Amino acid sequence: MYVAVKGGEQAITRSLQLLAEARRGDLTVPELSLDQIREQLRLGVARVMQEGSLYDEELAALAMRQAAGDMLEAIFLLRAYRTTLPRFGYTQPLDTNAMRVRRRVSGTFKDVPGGQVLGPTYDYTQRLLEFESTAPTSPLQAEAPLPDTMPRVLDLLDAEALIERIDAGVDPEPIDLTREPLMFPADRATRLQNLARGDEGFLLGMAYSTQRGYAESHPFAGEIRMGEVDVVICPEELGFAIEIGSITLTECQMINQFHGGNGLPPQFTRGYGLCMGEGERKAMSMALVDRTLRCDELGEPAYAPAQNQEFVLSHSDSVEASGFVQHLKLPHYVDFQAELSLLRTLSKQHAQHLNAEETAAQETSS
Amino acid sequence: MTSNYNFAFLDENTKRMLRRALLKAVAIPGYQVPFGSREMPLPYGWGTGGIQLTAALLGPDDVLKVIDQGADDTTNAVNIRRFFARVAGVTTTERTTEASVIQTRHRIPETPLREDQILVFQVPEPEPLRTLEPREAETRTLHALADYGLMHVKLYEDIAQYGHIATSYDYPVLVDGRFLTSPSPIPKFDNPKLDHSPALMLFGAGREKRLYAIPPYTKVESLAFDDHPFEIQRWEHQCELCGSDESYLDEVVVDDRGSRMFVCSDTDYCRQRRAEQAA
Amino acid sequence: MMLAAFAHPVFDSQRNFRELLQAMARPIAPRAMPVLAPAPAPILPASMAALLTLCDADTTLWLQQPNDAVAMHLRFHAGVRLVQDPADADFALITEPASMPPLTMFAHGDLRYPDRSATLIMQVDGFRGNAGKRFAGPGIRDVEQLLIEGLPGEFWQQRAAMSAQLPLGVDLIFISGQRMVALPRTTRVLED
Repeated sequence: MYVAVKGGEQAITRSLQLLAEARRGDLTVPELSLDQIREQLRLGVARVMQEGSLYDEELAALAMRQAAGDMLEAIFLLRAYRTTLPRFGYTQPLDTNAMRVRRRVSGTFKDVPGGQVLGPTYDYTQRLLEFESTAPTSPLQAEAPLPDTMPRVLDLLDAEALIERIDAGVDPEPIDLTREPLMFPADRATRLQNLARGDEGFLLGMAYSTQRGYAESHPFAGEIRMGEVDVVICPEELGFAIEIGSITLTECQMINQFHGGNGLPPQFTRGYGLCMGEGERKAMSMALVDRTLRCDELGEPAYAPAQNQEFVLSHSDSVEASGFVQHLKLPHYVDFQAELSLLRTLSKQHAQHLNAEETAAQETSS
Repeated sequence: MTSNYNFAFLDENTKRMLRRALLKAVAIPGYQVPFGSREMPLPYGWGTGGIQLTAALLGPDDVLKVIDQGADDTTNAVNIRRFFARVAGVTTTERTTEASVIQTRHRIPETPLREDQILVFQVPEPEPLRTLEPREAETRTLHALADYGLMHVKLYEDIAQYGHIATSYDYPVLVDGRFLTSPSPIPKFDNPKLDHSPALMLFGAGREKRLYAIPPYTKVESLAFDDHPFEIQRWEHQCELCGSDESYLDEVVVDDRGSRMFVCSDTDYCRQRRAEQAA
Repeated sequence: MMLAAFAHPVFDSQRNFRELLQAMARPIAPRAMPVLAPAPAPILPASMAALLTLCDADTTLWLQQPNDAVAMHLRFHAGVRLVQDPADADFALITEPASMPPLTMFAHGDLRYPDRSATLIMQVDGFRGNAGKRFAGPGIRDVEQLLIEGLPGEFWQQRAAMSAQLPLGVDLIFISGQRMVALPRTTRVLED
């Protein structure tokens, strides 16, 4: 006799045990410490913090270890933890002008005040696998210390009035996308917030499409800077600002040619990208997509996927996308049964219809 | 019960936000209320909307039942039940009649619900017009104007092409004569249970950040045409376990020659019937 | 001295919410507010219970008869933002219906977002069954009849005018003593 499948609870428990075993791997190999992950896999930690929307290297490292290196799973773990955290207050806007820069490059001028600073970059490695450890034996000494702050490259254009002005004073208070649902049309602050949490791979593909003709885009990397920025809060009961620490940020300002339109003069326009930690690919992709999504505001013809804000913003989040794609592995047999019975009806009708046609054809020919 | 988290996992601000949205949802039957859906420790698409609604509802005296595909023992149902037992310490049950809150995916129980029960649906796509019009800005306007021509044309084209309305689940309904609403992917077999139900029915779509409600004793019509009235699925078989010829049946492949048998999808209903027969 | 709020905030709000939800789902049928909250005059403990259950720093509240004790109490326990203009309010507390502003003064939502509308908590004189108007609509199996005592003379005319704008509208929760009655926008008043 048929007995319906039972034992979901036991199956889950066993699966969790198997997962724990698989995650740990060979017990004779020492377990990774969170310090090792934080120090030696820092770019992975940065990505988990960026898309997990939580600046905490320790927790990001923990999530990476728990997820066995699956970045999307680690991001999900961090997000689920973040949901439960109370809000103690809001910081002042971060001042990236005052960034203590460790890397700063511009593609628009050969040299800029403060200089081009390569910093720690993979750009000019030769991508040869290094079979021997290349750890430095002693800390590097700077030949000349970097200035405390560096002017922004785009401000040089601003002096000539060649680039659009962004007046910080009229910037409305942004909504918090982690507390309020995304609504369309979304303003720029909301879009940037969505992109900042967006999946790097998705944004990279979208940004790439704008360079290949799917949108009108003539971008220059005006400035990319990475370094430390102070985080400042101003508690109402104190009435003065206190610095509570500093975080690493990567900022990208793209410059885009614009011939004028929608009542705006010809000028360079800006695309903006910002992410927590080191994440240049992400910040650059974000800046390209940000600029492309401004098509309505700038009166540009919109025809490409990357210009469609509902398309981009609704599909950028890896936690949403991964959940919904993977939910297809859940049982759907009730609906499948409904479709099966519909298909049987349709196919019976189709066969009857064919038979009728054949009979009619035979009658005509005879 | 895990004490590192608030009762039922969500913080009180989030619960209040959900509760306010739920009251508006009940006051505007079938209308999709946007809400600040949170990231839950279960993946989007796996019932995060239903879980948030249940978390906003649950109190220590509740008795919770969770079903997926009509069954209490499907892995995701087990997992959600485990979650609430862990974070809220509530009593859980597999008996429809014992539950005060029932969270469901894809089915409405066969056992008639009562006025003191609440049914919470997990909803993947709350917008019934989405497959016909992907832009949210546009579908909002269509609802504002109660312009459901798109859906009528789609159903009519089905009839023209196949002689039938070719929608077998997530079959659109009109709630209180006003809002076109997705009943969630329940088979259309369950649609009649939505009409004038004694129990309050709440719908949560976590990933899409929308929730909506069908209050009790509310008119819920499945779309149809005069010459093509709404019909539900029927089987030539009976349940091979309990003999029911009224319940929704799952088709089970029982051997590698492809032999089939048909059994109730609602496992509690089937078990109760068998218990009654044995008594 | 500042009055206390709920003794068990998590569980007390949950119990009150469930009754509020059922009240809204089953309009016109009176129910009791399970857990009352101490309240400075002129707010009734049941009204305060509803406010503490639903309001916080993310909501705005308009008080018909504001006073310092009430404002301080609500700010302290709920963190709710008090507003001067009824049109800005998510919630409104009517403590003297006879002199209340017309229903059109409150947010009705817009056609794309009818939920962006006010919920009014109105303290009335009492409820009497088998008397008054008869009601039908979502949540009502057949017909419910109830006399809501202490409403201003123009109330039902204003509500009828508002009903012509559905799905726009405001939703009401009447409070008398410990009892509450909901009147969501979709409830239809039957002609006598």
